[in-house]
Amino acid sequence: MNRGGHAVVRALFATPAAALGTILLVSILLLAAFGSTFSPYDPTEVTGVPFSRPTQEHWLGTNDIGQDIFSEILWGARVSIMIGLIAAGAAITVGTLVGVVASFSGGWLDSLLMRIADVVLTIPFLPLAVVLAAFLGPSLWNTATVIAVVIWARPARIIRSQGMTIRSLTFVEAAVALGGKKTHLLIRHILPGVLPLALSQFILATSSSILTEASLAFLGLGDPIQKSWGTILFYAQARGAFLSGAWPWWVLPPGLLISATVLGFVLVGRSLEEILMPQLRQHGGNGG
Amino acid sequence: MNWYLTRVGQYALVLLAALTLNFFLPRAMPGSPLRFLAGEDVGLLSPDQVAEVRARYGLDRPLWKQYLNYLTSAFSGRWGYSYQMGQPVIRIILERLPWTLLLAGTSLLVASLFGIVFGAIASWYRGKIFDTGSLLAAIFVDSLPTFWLGMMLIAVFAVELRWLPIFGAVTPWGPKSGWPYFIDILRHLVLPATTLTLATLSGTFLVMRYAMLDVLGQDYIRTARSKGVRERQVLLKHATRNALLPVSTVIFLNLGYVVGGATVIETVFSYPGIGTLLFQAVLSRDYPVLQGAFLMLTVSVVGANILDDAVYPLLDPRVRRDAG
Repeated sequence: MNRGGHAVVRALFATPAAALGTILLVSILLLAAFGSTFSPYDPTEVTGVPFSRPTQEHWLGTNDIGQDIFSEILWGARVSIMIGLIAAGAAITVGTLVGVVASFSGGWLDSLLMRIADVVLTIPFLPLAVVLAAFLGPSLWNTATVIAVVIWARPARIIRSQGMTIRSLTFVEAAVALGGKKTHLLIRHILPGVLPLALSQFILATSSSILTEASLAFLGLGDPIQKSWGTILFYAQARGAFLSGAWPWWVLPPGLLISATVLGFVLVGRSLEEILMPQLRQHGGNGG
Repeated sequence: MNWYLTRVGQYALVLLAALTLNFFLPRAMPGSPLRFLAGEDVGLLSPDQVAEVRARYGLDRPLWKQYLNYLTSAFSGRWGYSYQMGQPVIRIILERLPWTLLLAGTSLLVASLFGIVFGAIASWYRGKIFDTGSLLAAIFVDSLPTFWLGMMLIAVFAVELRWLPIFGAVTPWGPKSGWPYFIDILRHLVLPATTLTLATLSGTFLVMRYAMLDVLGQDYIRTARSKGVRERQVLLKHATRNALLPVSTVIFLNLGYVVGGATVIETVFSYPGIGTLLFQAVLSRDYPVLQGAFLMLTVSVVGANILDDAVYPLLDPRVRRDAG
């Protein structure tokens, strides 16, 4: 393993908070990958009496049409986390590209890209996501696309400022002054310089993507066949989990899992950011 | 002056972007835009009737003419017609707007107050238990889905303890005037406003704490201390006042976030504002209302930004001189 790899591993257990984040993250990723194999039922099948309380057969009871809530939650892990990872991956790819190009080119292209980023940052992002998702219709890919469209701007700005810092370093300026090729400069200096930052931004973006997905699903924009944790909560709210007194097993568990997932990603992302990019300690919270 | 022009340009761009998106979304989707503009029922009409409806919505004209026409209508308050509710969109939205402003305004005010106080205290006790504790609490609360936080508050305070109402902004057929009405509105406001406050508190807290730490490291603080000003005075008069400047901007910038949060929180509590309207429009596929609500939320955020630009020079005389 190279030096960068060691730094990452050390960062993952550097502080109690980082260690907690790493443990949460690993457990949640395992749950997303293998959880469904332990699912006692097919979550789309009716396997019990509607609104059944937790029993031996149904550990977390059943929903309004008699589907097993425990199975729904196990399957939902994959949906929630997959959308989060795909959306964050797309947003960081676009954000890194925009940030690197803007910092590298400067001038009108930089201004244009940053104006666009500012517009995206000013428009209230959740209503924007709701409108886009409503027109595109519910599907995992559409949801991921919509989230990527509304969250790429912040990482783009952060990566641009890192790119600017790298450009102004003496050895990079020297390379420019000596007539170094532009592509060489980009590939040798700027890209490697922003990649660790892009990694930590990816992890933080995943946390906000998961929160945004949950909100969109809760607003009725989730795929009703492939339910995420947010979709489960949408049905719980719409179908009277409160009136039937079912909230302790229908509302509590999915919400706790979303929170644990987001917390894991945030703690790990922050720790990586601090260890890999010590000069970049301060910028706002995560959206959603 | 130049600074103001840039800002105005930026806001114009944001509004234009929102309007352009609203214009192109129904037209860029596969199938006829009429489906979005006039409702699914269009599919049941005869070809002649469809042509007539198309003409009424101006869809038979060239795209650029439609676009210009759309912009002028938007600015003159013609935001389309809700085929689900049988009313002009703008009227529906203006009816709902006060509730959203009440909820968002209250939460923003309370969150700002608490965020500033906690942030200042945390910076005074940097590294001590209060500081670390509040930082951890901020990260933890930020990880909760806001709508779920609202659901849990409902479960505890409305369902189990029965202290507060579960939904709505007023009791149906309840008091409509005087103190009882006021108390009724307040009781309905407590849970949604608490949720939204908790969801926005950490942003203000973190910025205030950071701004204070920044200010406390400045030369004039050292000067004040070395000339024998009491520590209390240094913290309250010299440091806090200066740290408030960046915080005021963040409070206004948070508004976009508050508005987004209000959208889901209103839905949880069936609070009759624009957020709930947006949700209902999604469920009933009422696209004109959906787009109108989105536009109004964008306008609110731009309005708050303009307010910030107007207020900031009053707080910071240096900006006033530069801009004048």
